[in-house]
Amino acid sequence: MDSSVDITDIGTWEPPFIQPHKMGALNKFGQRTLRDNICREVFGVPVNDLVRRYGSPVFVVGEKHLRQNIRRIKSAFEQRYNLAVHGWSYKTNYISAICRILHQEGSLAEVVSKFEYEKARFLGVPGEQIIFNGPNKPKDILRRAIEDGALIQADHMEELKMLEAVADELGRIVKIGIRINFDTGFTEPWSRFGFNLESGQVNEAINFISRSDHLRLSSLHSHIGTFVLEPRAYAEQVRIMCELMRKLEGVENVAIDTIDIGGGIPSRNALQTIYLPPEQAVPDINEYADAICEALLAGTRYRKEIGKELPRLIFESGRAVIDDAEVLITSVVGTKRLPDGRRAAILDAGTNLLFTAYWYNHQVKMTRNAAGSEEETVLYGPLCMNIDVVRHSISLPPLAAGDHLVISPVGAYNNTQWLQFIEYRPNVVLAQESGGCSVIRQAEDLGVMMAQDQIPAHLASLDLSGKIRPLSRSGNHPTLNRKLV
Amino acid sequence: MTMAAAELLKELSKDDRLSRIAVSDTGFIFDPQTGQSFTLNKTGLVTLSHLKKGSSIDETADQLARQYGVTEEVALNSVEAFLLQLGRYL
Repeated sequence: MDSSVDITDIGTWEPPFIQPHKMGALNKFGQRTLRDNICREVFGVPVNDLVRRYGSPVFVVGEKHLRQNIRRIKSAFEQRYNLAVHGWSYKTNYISAICRILHQEGSLAEVVSKFEYEKARFLGVPGEQIIFNGPNKPKDILRRAIEDGALIQADHMEELKMLEAVADELGRIVKIGIRINFDTGFTEPWSRFGFNLESGQVNEAINFISRSDHLRLSSLHSHIGTFVLEPRAYAEQVRIMCELMRKLEGVENVAIDTIDIGGGIPSRNALQTIYLPPEQAVPDINEYADAICEALLAGTRYRKEIGKELPRLIFESGRAVIDDAEVLITSVVGTKRLPDGRRAAILDAGTNLLFTAYWYNHQVKMTRNAAGSEEETVLYGPLCMNIDVVRHSISLPPLAAGDHLVISPVGAYNNTQWLQFIEYRPNVVLAQESGGCSVIRQAEDLGVMMAQDQIPAHLASLDLSGKIRPLSRSGNHPTLNRKLV
Repeated sequence: MTMAAAELLKELSKDDRLSRIAVSDTGFIFDPQTGQSFTLNKTGLVTLSHLKKGSSIDETADQLARQYGVTEEVALNSVEAFLLQLGRYL
């Protein structure tokens, strides 16, 4: 280092800036340098090739990764309880190819709305392989689900009454489930869904079913929360459900053959509210399977003793299956220095595509080695909204327009909760297990955006002559002319 | 030119404070008085090199304007803002 500096490259203009080095401000896990972690390919396909072929931004799903995930998760449960069945939670990601992959792997369809039910049937899933949950099931779709033989799990008393009415109209005996909620002591009770156990609503529902001419209760369903980091919460859930099942033995019109524990098992993602990195915060799937299956075996032991069949176990994991099997490739479109000194970059993908950025700190990797010191950087999306922030603070080297970034894991809830706001939604590409790539959801264009619009007759033509003042200075605009004088 | 920036430059120039700051050609700087280190962007590096050579605020702004093709007003505002940053850290 010399005090007489030889500056050969002065760069392009930006306001001069000095950044102090914050020694001793490392977190307890040490500074992670992104340049040690360059991501030049995703699921075996070069990032640059993907962007060249499919544009930016682009979602990429790894088929092999997805199949490995579901096989590992199913195996964790099946080897501990051989009546375990996975239900693919459509709302997590209902892109058709992804649903088909999971159905090929033996997962049932778990749907929560008329649209999802119709989609599962459209994709070829037989009714008896569909679990129909959710608080809003209109009569027409309930009728279809009953005719198809789907497992309908009722959320509230009005739904039970509607089920009874439809079953009566059809002259059928219908096996149903009910969703119940209760306090496990571990998670925030999700008391808005289903019948509450502690307050007696479950008893009311059971009483209704036991007096019913057409309904038979065969399934108990509950869902204790989302991103549940404590396997013991599931053990307690299963214990409570088994206790209820035991109490219901012998009740009229009740013969429980299914315990459905819902989902909520976390993925390896970093919740913004959690200090530990996901590798440390998120237990392995085997810990969940251990807790759940041990509690189930203990809670159903009485059935073995009385020679009764054990119930099947349905688990509806979504994010643990798909989240890390999908990435988002995005590009830097601009950079700036914020008045408080932080670097900022504007990306071509924001919270319109990455809804989960509101609660996760996604991993962001560069695709090239960048020169320059790392600094705290804010990553903004392309929306005209101040809240469109992909990462509020991440240590990155200087970014340049055209740089690609790989954001992960993004497979859960982004392709279903994404916003249609001012931008077209991009291609979703499958990196196939057999090699090669295919588009599994085509990018939107103006045709897609206009397809649902209808223009009434009186708005059919657009004649603007004499209605709008021209913006051009060459126009005969009195105010502009005055200014020009 | 603001008085604050002028005063800061005067203060930083005392006892060779500014000229003793070690600067590398990549923008890494070390302040031997406090033991702290910093990083400059390229324009910061060019600006500091002018100031270390004893250029005034106006002279530095004039040179930056010519080097980067920006207006003198933009360059002057930037130099003053940069000096305020230096004043916070050095």
